[in-house]
Amino acid sequence: MTELAQNLIDGLGRGSIYALLALGIAVIFGVMHLLNFAHGELITIAGYAAFAALSQGWSWYLVTPLIVVTAVVAAVVIEFVAFRRVRGASDFTLLLTSFGVHFVVSAIFLLYVSASVKTFPRPQWVTNTYSLGPLNVEVFDTVVIAVTALTLLGTTLLLQRTMFGLALRAAAEDFDTARLMGVRSNSVIRGAFALSGLLAGIAGVFWLMRAGNTVPNAGIDPMLKGVLAALIGGLGSLRGAVLGGFALGLAEVLLRSRLPETIAGLTDGFVFILIALLFIFRPQGLITVAHAERV
Amino acid sequence: MFPDRSRDVAFPVGGMLILFALLVGSGLLYQSLGGGAAERLVTTMLIDAIVVVGIQIYVGNTGILSFGHIGFGAIAGYAFALFAISPEEKLKRIPDVPFGLLDVQLSPWLAVVVAAAVTLVIAGIVGVGLVRSGAQSGAVSATVITLALLFVTHEVARNWPDLTGGDRAGLAFPIGGALNSQLPIIVTLLAALIVARLYAQSSAGRLAVAAREDNLAARAMGVNPMVQQLVALALSVVVVSVGASLRVYEDGSILPGDFFFDYTLVTLVMLVVGGRNSVTGAVVGVAVITVARELARRMGQDGFEFFGLGLDGVPADWIFRENLQSVVLGLAMLGFMLWRPSGILDDWELDEWLHRRIGSGTAAEPAAPEPAERSTTEPIRLEARTIDVTFGGFQALQGAGIEANANEIVGIIGPNGAGKTTLVNVVTGMVDPTGGTVVLGTTDLTAAPPHQIARAGLVRTFQNLRLFGALTVRENVEVSTLVARDHRNGTARPDADALIGAAGLWDHRDRRARELDYGNSRRLELARAAAMVPSFLLLDEPTSGMSDSESLQMIEQVRSIADLVGAGVIVIDHDLNFITGICDRVYCLDRGQVIADGTPAEVQADSGVQAAYLGAATA
Amino acid sequence: MLDVSGLTTKYGAISALRDATLSVGSGEVIGLIGPNGAGKTTALATIAGLLSPSSGTVTFEGADITAEPPERRLRAGLALVPEHRRIFVDLSVRENLKIGGATVPSSDRGELLDEMAERFPVLKDKWNVSAGYLSGGEAQQLAIARALMSRPKLLMMDEPSLGLAPVLVDVVFDLIVSLREQGRTMLVVEQNATRLLDVADRAYVLRSGEVVADGTGAELSARDDLFDTFVGGAQ
Repeated sequence: MTELAQNLIDGLGRGSIYALLALGIAVIFGVMHLLNFAHGELITIAGYAAFAALSQGWSWYLVTPLIVVTAVVAAVVIEFVAFRRVRGASDFTLLLTSFGVHFVVSAIFLLYVSASVKTFPRPQWVTNTYSLGPLNVEVFDTVVIAVTALTLLGTTLLLQRTMFGLALRAAAEDFDTARLMGVRSNSVIRGAFALSGLLAGIAGVFWLMRAGNTVPNAGIDPMLKGVLAALIGGLGSLRGAVLGGFALGLAEVLLRSRLPETIAGLTDGFVFILIALLFIFRPQGLITVAHAERV
Repeated sequence: MFPDRSRDVAFPVGGMLILFALLVGSGLLYQSLGGGAAERLVTTMLIDAIVVVGIQIYVGNTGILSFGHIGFGAIAGYAFALFAISPEEKLKRIPDVPFGLLDVQLSPWLAVVVAAAVTLVIAGIVGVGLVRSGAQSGAVSATVITLALLFVTHEVARNWPDLTGGDRAGLAFPIGGALNSQLPIIVTLLAALIVARLYAQSSAGRLAVAAREDNLAARAMGVNPMVQQLVALALSVVVVSVGASLRVYEDGSILPGDFFFDYTLVTLVMLVVGGRNSVTGAVVGVAVITVARELARRMGQDGFEFFGLGLDGVPADWIFRENLQSVVLGLAMLGFMLWRPSGILDDWELDEWLHRRIGSGTAAEPAAPEPAERSTTEPIRLEARTIDVTFGGFQALQGAGIEANANEIVGIIGPNGAGKTTLVNVVTGMVDPTGGTVVLGTTDLTAAPPHQIARAGLVRTFQNLRLFGALTVRENVEVSTLVARDHRNGTARPDADALIGAAGLWDHRDRRARELDYGNSRRLELARAAAMVPSFLLLDEPTSGMSDSESLQMIEQVRSIADLVGAGVIVIDHDLNFITGICDRVYCLDRGQVIADGTPAEVQADSGVQAAYLGAATA
Repeated sequence: MLDVSGLTTKYGAISALRDATLSVGSGEVIGLIGPNGAGKTTALATIAGLLSPSSGTVTFEGADITAEPPERRLRAGLALVPEHRRIFVDLSVRENLKIGGATVPSSDRGELLDEMAERFPVLKDKWNVSAGYLSGGEAQQLAIARALMSRPKLLMMDEPSLGLAPVLVDVVFDLIVSLREQGRTMLVVEQNATRLLDVADRAYVLRSGEVVADGTGAELSARDDLFDTFVGGAQ
């Protein structure tokens, strides 16, 4: 029982970050049917910005907003430079375009920084823990869960209460009809990228705090987790993406603590296989978004 | 008549021989000038070509983007190493290897075969998963499954050191034990090219491409896309496996990073830059990217200096530095996706071009064949009874039904939204009814999958034209004749050429369907459906978008083609001239119900029908 | 107010609309009738900017808008109630109306919302209900109300009575009549030709993508061969 509760807390902490990443991916998928394999690059770019600032002696209090701002700016720039040109293109082209963006960004860091791992100091409190009854809770997880809860609340308010949020939801459901309502396609897509950058930035702060380093292809891992979580939830569903993020985090923690020592290293492998099984038996993910095929 | 041996066998083999000679010839020439480093480059290029051609077999013919083929390559590479490396060497790196693999040693060539077999088994499992996930051209979830496969194999390779030697040690042949001849690679490449091209021209390849071009239309022609995807995957994985084993044998070692993201990028860039839909394109992509990478690598090392030429004032430090080739690869991928997503060659094939230039000659239009003997026994009967369909809360059909004999032409008319297309969708299995039955002869087809219904003899056309755009007119029709050959027994079948002639498309037979004008597209759709030799042709608005005179022509064409294959016709149309001109009986639908049926004249005179069309003056 | 001249729109090889010319004057109610596949929906979608014509021009209040995207046309005062209503089922009734008024100043939006609540009592009852739960008739009213939220100068409706029970068809036509009485300029596509001709000032008949007849509502209603013109029986 205690172990399960402990897993639950750990999974929630891990899942929070995945949920933020998945939500950003789902927002973009909603408005332009693009599964963004370059989503992780926002964290790579922010990671190098953090590395540069921290090695100049900046404190994490300054680096935190820097990471978020960098991710937002990067998302908007990438949309403008690459994705704008392939709006409405085939899924094949969209997928490979985002894959191409991923490789160009990581290659640029390879070219101008280096292939080696760049480490930076992590905040002191990241490894601190406190006891809650029989449970051992990381300060870090607590902060992650709290900030994620606030972010999700803020995002919900943004989507429910503002004209931009309304336009985004309308465009995700039916882009053409949204345009008939006067919704500007450029603004709504740029806004969606900014929002996805913001979410990736917040997730990135935690990701980088925990990792304490960055490499040119650092984006692969967060991208993969975000994409898988978004798929678990059912592509296109924002609620599903958040749910998928938590489900993925929990699954990882549960597997890692239950698997025998010798194969614990294969946790990710098992998680992928579980996800593949989910797709096989429920291809539409946890939450269904109806897409009728017109004959 | 089918297969056309010159077009489907002789020319593809010849074309691949030329392509092979060009690639290998220029490679050998280059290495004779360049020494050891050049030899390594050429060997790498030839192995890459095998792997890329292997990937092309799946990605090109099914349209499904796969990141997982390099994962299959990893599986094959490790399997090969485990079977081919001697027990003494294994003892050094993986003394605790499971499954009793320690003492196994096969000859390298047997190990290649065993590795391919092992990979094939795993590919079978993954393939069933892909198919179940609803894989079709461009499907996002299928792509993510392949990506997950790549990561799973990588994770396993890194974290199961007892089997793979892990991240550091890996598996390796003893010094001097690696492959030291290019010949096996060259031979394999030739075989891979020919296999890939013959497959694409085979019936399995054609059906896979049909499903790639239009999944729904392919199913409506009796194609089961799932089976075709599995066939393409199997063949593709075998070729990739052999390529990967050769790479391991040639390198003399394997590490988890060898078959991961970087190699996936390299091979995918080669494929999409050249043109993923053609084998020629894949080979061109390999050559172009190999050259571009090598130039970038050298410039990265030495700055811009090439054949003694330098360029003053180029900010060399900013661009020409180490790892330049990674940027070049990434930019090649991105640039082609943004500006030319179909690659340099798109779906251009060398042998098809040669065949058009020298092979096709001027075949005479076949004489119109005799209409099929209508069987003197009772004609087969289609009965759709009391069909209900609900979409969300909307009742599209309420107890509608239609009956027809295979020797008559039956029309369905009715205003917009009456449920006409929905009724045809139910009969052809594309919409599952909430109630009612569809019976053809004695076979209950209610809610059977579309491809089975098509094979049973109900074949349809679509309101909004669904042709296989990248295929030629003749290939479109041949998709149906291929399916008919395997799944429609007993009926005499006219060959594809005769149907093309009957549809008035003989002069266009080698043009791609997407280049046809509207009237010819409609006629091709009709010929393609008829080539299934169905019991019934179901035509959804065959004259929509046609002028009055074209519609009248269509009457003759529908009649003669239906006669040719001995099929009954059920036709939806809005044009009463057409309907009265062609139909024996007419049903009128309104709001999901049959409101009238009878001869065309009776139905046209029915006041309820007029009211349905024009709207009642008062409700 | 609206002048369409020589408009041709293609889907791939299909010319869904061929060389269509029509005009709508200020304060007029214009009908566009014709059978299935005649090109009515294509005409409205092209005028609204969802489809690009291969030739021809669309002029609105003297300005050539042929190349403008739909969001600009809406701002110019051109609103379309699309075929099959296409309300946003994930949004509530109120949110659907709000997005309809996305282009009006936010200070006026509240007033417009009140106006719609008053005019469409059925919507007011379901104000915060997800639009996916509305019946066909309610959804159609929402679609029209949503278009009205942008204060259009020209309101275009595509098959507003499609798929509705007869009593709800009455509701829709009553609404058209009351909008007409308020002096709204409208361009309406309907399969239900008889009833549309009753309320329209003028109408055009489309068949196979071409304008084959036009005249006042009364003129067209009086023609015996209307049904034949409609379905192509007149030869």
